[in-house]
Amino acid sequence: MRALSRIDKYRGGGRLILRPETRLLLTVAASVSSLALGDPQALSLLLAFSLLYAAAETKFKTLLLAYAFMGLMCALSLACVWLLGFIFPPMREAPLAGAISPFIRLGVSLNVILPLALNSKLTELAMALGRLHLPGFLRLPLMVTIRFIPVILNDLVQLREAVGIRFRGRRGFLFWLRHPLTWWRVFFQPLIVRLIRSADELAMASELKGLEVNTDFGSSAEPFSPDDRLVGLTAALAIILSALAEFFLSGSGHA
Amino acid sequence: MSSDNPATGAVISRPGFFQTRELVTIGLFSAAAKASSLILALAGGGMNPLTLILKSAVQSALLVVLLAKVPRTGTLTLSNLVGALLSFLLMGQHVISLPGVMAGTLLVELLALPGGGLARRPWLAVPMVAVSELVIRFINIGVSYLGVREQPGLLAMVVAVSAFGYLGILLGLIGGVRMTGELRHAGLIQD
Repeated sequence: MRALSRIDKYRGGGRLILRPETRLLLTVAASVSSLALGDPQALSLLLAFSLLYAAAETKFKTLLLAYAFMGLMCALSLACVWLLGFIFPPMREAPLAGAISPFIRLGVSLNVILPLALNSKLTELAMALGRLHLPGFLRLPLMVTIRFIPVILNDLVQLREAVGIRFRGRRGFLFWLRHPLTWWRVFFQPLIVRLIRSADELAMASELKGLEVNTDFGSSAEPFSPDDRLVGLTAALAIILSALAEFFLSGSGHA
Repeated sequence: MSSDNPATGAVISRPGFFQTRELVTIGLFSAAAKASSLILALAGGGMNPLTLILKSAVQSALLVVLLAKVPRTGTLTLSNLVGALLSFLLMGQHVISLPGVMAGTLLVELLALPGGGLARRPWLAVPMVAVSELVIRFINIGVSYLGVREQPGLLAMVVAVSAFGYLGILLGLIGGVRMTGELRHAGLIQD
């Protein structure tokens, strides 16, 4: 599948054996704690720990590319702030420390999201969902969504190729920019019709097979690996140290 | 109330809880929304205004068609919840804003309840999607403010992205309504 193969070249590089639940929990913990912390030094400590995790779980080249992209986005944001400074002069006098904290938070998020996005396989996530004991009305559509994203991606690639054959020679970006309604008609409408037909067929098949809202899909419960425990403990230590740094540094700053 | 028709594949709302086929339909539409936004992001880069508008337009049109196919209270909330959970599972996004987004969408659904809800007034799908997306964007801006509270000027980028996204939502609503009309005419969606 072309769309997925473009992602696959960034995939892998994980040196730790982690369950998807551990990666998800780390993402939640990092997001909440980075929002709660405000001191740049405390946030830097969290950034350093999260960077260690990202370096162990992501290829160096991918990490570098992601940081380059983040740098570009930060530069764009700062340019916006600089332009806004002409309209609201007090914004130009904001202290540098205040400007750094949001970017450190962004770095922390990036460090925990990259391993989750690049190392989690769809089947592993589906298994993890089974272990989370979600209610049936939520688990069934989630499982269908996870199972059918690759199928629909394949449909979309086929549609794009069909449109390419139909509009050979004049399907450049500018053509679609000048004819958005044509794009809508030849690309989106067939997708919807395919989707509705697939939904009906799948629904009928699932009912014939006796699949019900509360069907248990089954999921083997693997024990947490030593890597899971190591990463969990290090994350807890990182959060405690950052919270202590925030408490003492912010306190001394105010005093 | 009419019965299910396997020949046309019509999904008929029954009072009570969601049926398996309705949940399958919601799951497939969420998969389509995610897959099309992935394809558009790969084709045009994630952050340019045109891609943002197109992604949102496809998303809202899919929601309007879904609400016509499964006209039941809770469809919009469940669809948004599945989409947000998937974003979280795959990309770690929306984890902080998830409860607020769900509360906002549920509130919009409850406001639409008096008078029979979607089952009796299918046209409610358009204002429901428009209002819920607006609520979601406001909540997301609020959560983003927490992240950039030391330098509020950075919020300008978030507001711009949300504004482009909402423009796409409004355009998608028009496309979704037209598409639903055609699908009803073709018998793929029943009244």
